[in-house]
Amino acid sequence: MSGIVIAGVSRIFGTVRAVDNITLTVAQGEFFTLLGPSGCGKTTLLRMIAGFSDLDGGEISIGGQRIDKLAAHRRDIGMVFQNYAVFPNLSVAGNVAYGLKARRVPPPEIAARVEEALSLVQLSGFGDRQPHQLSGGQLQRVAIARALVIRPQVLLFDEPLSNLDARLRVSMRGEIRALQKSLGITAIYVTHDQEEAMSVSDRIAMMNAGRLEQVGAPVEIYRKPATRFAAEFMGTTNLVEARMLGLAAPVSVSLRPEALRFAEEAPADWPRLSCVVESLEMLGPITRLDARLANGTTVRMATLDTPSLSVQAGQAVTLAYDPARLTVVA
Amino acid sequence: MSLAIPYRQRLPLGIAALAFAFLGLFLLLPLFQVFSASFLDSEGTALTFANYTKMLGRPFYRTAIVNTLEIGAAATIITTVLAVPLAFALARLPIPGKSAILAMASLPLILPSFVSAYALVLLLGRSGIVTQWLQAHGVAFTSIYGAGGIVTVYALTLYPYVLLPTVAAFKAVDVSMEEAAQNLGSSPARTVWTVTLPIVMPAILAGGLLVLIETLENFGVPFVLAEDMPIFAVEAFKLFIGETAPNPSSAGVLGVLLILTTAAVLLVQRRFLGARRFATNARQAPPQLKIGRGLQALATFYCWAVVILALVPFFSIVVLSFLEFRGPVLHPHFSLENFSVLFGRHVRPLLNTLIFATAASLFVTIIGVPVGYVVTRYRSGVASLLDVVATLPFAVAGTVLAIGFIVSFNSGPLILTGGPLILVLAYTVRKVPFAVRSASAIVHQIDASLEEASISLGRSPLQTFLRIVVPLMLGGILSGLVLSWVTVASELSATVVLYSGPWSTLTVVMFQALESGGAGIATAAASFLIVVSLLPIVFLYRLVRRYELS
Repeated sequence: MSGIVIAGVSRIFGTVRAVDNITLTVAQGEFFTLLGPSGCGKTTLLRMIAGFSDLDGGEISIGGQRIDKLAAHRRDIGMVFQNYAVFPNLSVAGNVAYGLKARRVPPPEIAARVEEALSLVQLSGFGDRQPHQLSGGQLQRVAIARALVIRPQVLLFDEPLSNLDARLRVSMRGEIRALQKSLGITAIYVTHDQEEAMSVSDRIAMMNAGRLEQVGAPVEIYRKPATRFAAEFMGTTNLVEARMLGLAAPVSVSLRPEALRFAEEAPADWPRLSCVVESLEMLGPITRLDARLANGTTVRMATLDTPSLSVQAGQAVTLAYDPARLTVVA
Repeated sequence: MSLAIPYRQRLPLGIAALAFAFLGLFLLLPLFQVFSASFLDSEGTALTFANYTKMLGRPFYRTAIVNTLEIGAAATIITTVLAVPLAFALARLPIPGKSAILAMASLPLILPSFVSAYALVLLLGRSGIVTQWLQAHGVAFTSIYGAGGIVTVYALTLYPYVLLPTVAAFKAVDVSMEEAAQNLGSSPARTVWTVTLPIVMPAILAGGLLVLIETLENFGVPFVLAEDMPIFAVEAFKLFIGETAPNPSSAGVLGVLLILTTAAVLLVQRRFLGARRFATNARQAPPQLKIGRGLQALATFYCWAVVILALVPFFSIVVLSFLEFRGPVLHPHFSLENFSVLFGRHVRPLLNTLIFATAASLFVTIIGVPVGYVVTRYRSGVASLLDVVATLPFAVAGTVLAIGFIVSFNSGPLILTGGPLILVLAYTVRKVPFAVRSASAIVHQIDASLEEASISLGRSPLQTFLRIVVPLMLGGILSGLVLSWVTVASELSATVVLYSGPWSTLTVVMFQALESGGAGIATAAASFLIVVSLLPIVFLYRLVRRYELS
């Protein structure tokens, strides 16, 4: 069992509570993501698990063993870094073998395990290459192989894809997810990219200013954001006072743009909003438009492209929204 | 875990503890001894301020202070005025032979400045070759001795301190800053004045203050050229050698005043300039400016003239060493007599120089690399204190440190005077700041996540340092080692105070030859020193190139 328990963990830099009393449990084999804007404390929390940042309070244990007082090099945790951190003075095989040598694994076994790890990340035959001969994507595969080969209890990813170009990011995140699931290893993944977080994670912990905003499955956070922050950070949303939509309750609600439709295409029981189109953004598969309600509130709506779609800025339109997709936010 | 110290801090704290122990014993203790000597009476028993009132009451020593500061200021200004246009030309103008100029321009940093001063005496002294030639042609030139000569030598030997950082700064200016200025209607010339120059100003000032510190501490150049003119570092030496009382109170006073002056300059340099670094993140060096042919010829001439002029003294001393001397008088015949005397009578000092330089440069590296690593990687009170203490030797003149060594290790539990180790230790302490700076510069370029990756893969911080950091620093460590070897080989100011009996060095041979008028041996020793300084640099250059090619 190598589930992770983080209990009341804090880290204070001067007057800033970088990580503020966070409690989390990550299950064995789970792909768990820490998501939030830069400076929210997600990387600090990850570095505390790895042993590179001290705890000012709380405890961390893995598989029931407390690790927060353990030296970083004795924690048996694999880590993949944002800038790859592939040792430039060692070959690809030398990099992958590094942790095995530190563990005094016999040389024949090292050779076999290095080859196995390289084939896992589709770099078979690259062992003799030098790091400067590899592309960014290949370097990150080396870093992943290097972290996997020691068969760690937990694998940590610190924004591993942010130095790669957009297309490669999308394919690599799929590979990382598949690899993690096939090995059944517990993974904690840090990113500021909500799309990336949604695509790879079993569960997401959304962080802001050192605190947890919401923890849950991607779909749950997207559809039922608990806070304004969660609603806005996770995709685009309309955060409006309920009374602006003609509702009586004195609360804020989140309404995703795709929950709005043109009245003529919407079921008859959806509430209608008459408004004027302010601006249009044609993005290919979808079109976004900002529409102003009579009371001055602007709502954003997104619709799939259809041949019949012909709206102009300044045009008066009637929109309708799905009342089931209104979420009250704190 | 028996210790309460978190694991991550054990390696840096261990290194810091060892470094503090070494620097405490061989830097802080000697400095404290100099300090307390200045506050004790001549018997060393009663506390008194009398030494200060006595010394500062004498016009002679007040003049020494004024002279030293005036010469330092003049040298700093002239050096800066000389070096900044040179730096601009090398960074931004189409000058033929740029890399050759830059390589030659860094040579004065490794060649001993008092050799340059001595060459100037041989050429322009009272019976100098050029002086005699001038007088034969009716030019009323007497000699180079005095403030003018000292400032000239400083300008010619210290200008790289301003040049090298300023070239780097000019190259780091983001060209879009200049484009923005011109887009807003500023002419290219005005842009240089109003945008480029202010951006590189911190680098210029930093270099200039280094020059000032070097002039305040320098012993060899004024010793050769000052004659009767009192200069700080020289007078401290003379006082100490001449003092017969048990407590060197007078030398102590001059030593303390000298340390305070240089420390003040160093403090200004670090505090004031540390905060004023303009970060411009240029992706590539700014393009060459287009200038007319006339201007280009002028700039090219200027660059080559400065660089060659600075090397003329060294070149001439090598030539002169192959001529015949009778006492101080030169005869224009080719002769190997000087070298046969040097290698015949002074083999021991020659070997001492090589052995001391090797031992000291190894010590310096072993101390400097871990300390440079700790002060760069770990931000803590201990690390910044270590940084300050390790930089301190830079503010301490060699003569003063040596006086402190004698007072500290002449008696008591640790007696070093009279042996070779005291020289090696003094050299080590003197070069520690340079080793720490250069190590720190390399560590800055190594991504910290490489070390974290190694640790997360199961290597302890110490193993990570040895297996990842040291191999990545190797090129830089090696060049630092060679540089300290070269500068130790030509160390004079601490050596003249500390050497004894058979443990003299090549610089001492030169020093004694100068005092007794044995110019022939002095030139041969100087030539040998020049060769000994250049060979490792050439070797290093080839090694680094091979390292980079592989």
